Amino acid sequence: MTERRGPIGTPLVVQDWDELTFRVHRSAYRDDTLFADERTQIWDRTWLYLGHETELPEPNDFVVRNLGGRPLIFCRDTEGELHAFLNSCPHRGTVLCRESRGSSKLFQCFYHAWTFRNNGDVAAIPDQVAYPDNGFRDTMGLRSVARLETFEGFVFVSFTDDVPPLREHLGAAADYLTMIREQHVGGMHVLPGTQLYGVKGNWKLAVENAMDGYHFSPTHNTFVGYLRETGFAVDDDDQYAYNLGNGHSLLILTGHGGRISMLWEPRFGEAERERTAEHRREMEQRLGSDRAHLVADESHILFVFPNLLLFDLEGLSIRQLEPVAPGHTDVRAWQLVPRVEDPDVRDLRMRTMVSFVGPGGLATPDDIEAYEAVQRGIEATAGDARTELDYSDMSRGMASELTDERGRSTDEGAMRGFWRHWVRAVGQEPLDIGTPPPPRAEPVPQPSKRPHGLDEILAGLGAEAQEVSR
Amino acid sequence: MTVTQGAPTRVVTRSEVEDFLYAEADLLDAQRYDDWLSLFVEGARFEVPTTDNPHLPAAVSGYFVCDDWNLLKARVKRLKSRKAHAENPASLTHRMVSNVRLGEQEGDELRLTANFIVHRSRDGGMSAYVGRYEHRLRVTEGGLRFLLRRSVLAHEHLTAGARLSFIL
Repeated sequence: MTERRGPIGTPLVVQDWDELTFRVHRSAYRDDTLFADERTQIWDRTWLYLGHETELPEPNDFVVRNLGGRPLIFCRDTEGELHAFLNSCPHRGTVLCRESRGSSKLFQCFYHAWTFRNNGDVAAIPDQVAYPDNGFRDTMGLRSVARLETFEGFVFVSFTDDVPPLREHLGAAADYLTMIREQHVGGMHVLPGTQLYGVKGNWKLAVENAMDGYHFSPTHNTFVGYLRETGFAVDDDDQYAYNLGNGHSLLILTGHGGRISMLWEPRFGEAERERTAEHRREMEQRLGSDRAHLVADESHILFVFPNLLLFDLEGLSIRQLEPVAPGHTDVRAWQLVPRVEDPDVRDLRMRTMVSFVGPGGLATPDDIEAYEAVQRGIEATAGDARTELDYSDMSRGMASELTDERGRSTDEGAMRGFWRHWVRAVGQEPLDIGTPPPPRAEPVPQPSKRPHGLDEILAGLGAEAQEVSR
Repeated sequence: MTVTQGAPTRVVTRSEVEDFLYAEADLLDAQRYDDWLSLFVEGARFEVPTTDNPHLPAAVSGYFVCDDWNLLKARVKRLKSRKAHAENPASLTHRMVSNVRLGEQEGDELRLTANFIVHRSRDGGMSAYVGRYEHRLRVTEGGLRFLLRRSVLAHEHLTAGARLSFIL
């Protein structure tokens, strides 16, 4: 492949504090060498989201998936403990488990019939007498990932021991995972039925897109129109984006749609309005009024660096990014739903969530169109002698970084935070032009001005009850 | 003529069903979405399950498409809009329908299965989508109408570039 990287020494991220511009060199999306650097500097060195523990409800359940390019078996052993093994026979490297999921106490390699228990121990090596009797067998157990830890049901792994505890890595992102669990008294679980699809775009375009409130109205014009017709007006006021540290980021949205069983809107129907009020009363009791307000009344798009996106919107969708090549990303998406749920609400939830997110929805295909159109479009400036042309601009709202102001969701501050983290991870500092502002603490997420949804829904129900009684 | 309850309203032949499916395929390839929507009974659904669990109902499984009547109308309205960016310009699609088999007919409701191949060209690449229709039709004197239009992919996953921005 043609060398698409900029000239040697090209700065990947340039921030000009006099002009208030922020630019990312487009080789970041298309260069093979940088992609290889990302593998070693990011994917082999940090916590990665592997899957949700409820994907494996029973002992002996397993699924296989690639993570950072490595084939893995994610399983529960016979005792119920979670493991992540390299899906590669320790003998000669054959893919050990060739099923995509199932239930098994043993994994047998078809090539020479070496057999392993689902806790990794060797169960059988055929004709073992030909091997030295010096503990050889004990060295041939399944190879585990270096680290595996779980937080609120989300299972993360690392391919190196040299990572902080998961909770420390998650930092300020952790509470948003806790809020998800708190939505329903019985907790949440992942449904089977994974949206498995690929996009012809770099993985970082998918991250940018999720943290980009600026694109919502133009890109999702038809979806915004659909919402308006159902009686919901999209509103970008009072919506903010936050950098949470360690590359994680968050959009807090209050004007993009209701939240099933928590925040009613007309397209959910009248029966759901009553059920929502009932559920909100239960949340009020269980969590207290302030916490219930935070958990229920704000939608979140959370990015946990580098491969987990959580869309906590009308419903909840988990999206995992798996880079395959600079211009190719595999995506997996699951629906996370309350363990206990009225069948009518479940039906509404599935229709509503699938209608928006996923490669067959009314919105995500336009996002995919955007990643793919960028990936094709940035070939135009590759290698141009006018080197300044081969940069993408993410300056929007940069002035807020000189003050203590929060960045709006329609600015590009969450993207800038992501790129600063990324460029350091691959071994460069952002290039400063002009005088950088003194270091400041990132603004901490603040509650929105949105009124308490329980008051709102009771007022709505009350108004109708009054009309009926009149 | 007396019609006993539960008996077929009339006999439907495989060739009538084939003609219906071929005509539908032509409407979709020509992006005649209003005409296509007129092939549905009001209140009908359109479903595309995920590739890994194609036999589970939508209440217990993720789906690619899970449209009730309102969403189906919204999908058609969207596809007709210049602002459906993923389909503007529209994908060039070419559909083949075969292996049509009639299932049980109960009263005026008929089940059918058929195989499909849809080739979709866009942005310099071509994707092939293969799978099976598992439809439920309403038999009327005037013709056949969809009650449930269900497209089940026979893929491990959707390969890169193979999104479902069009009607599968």
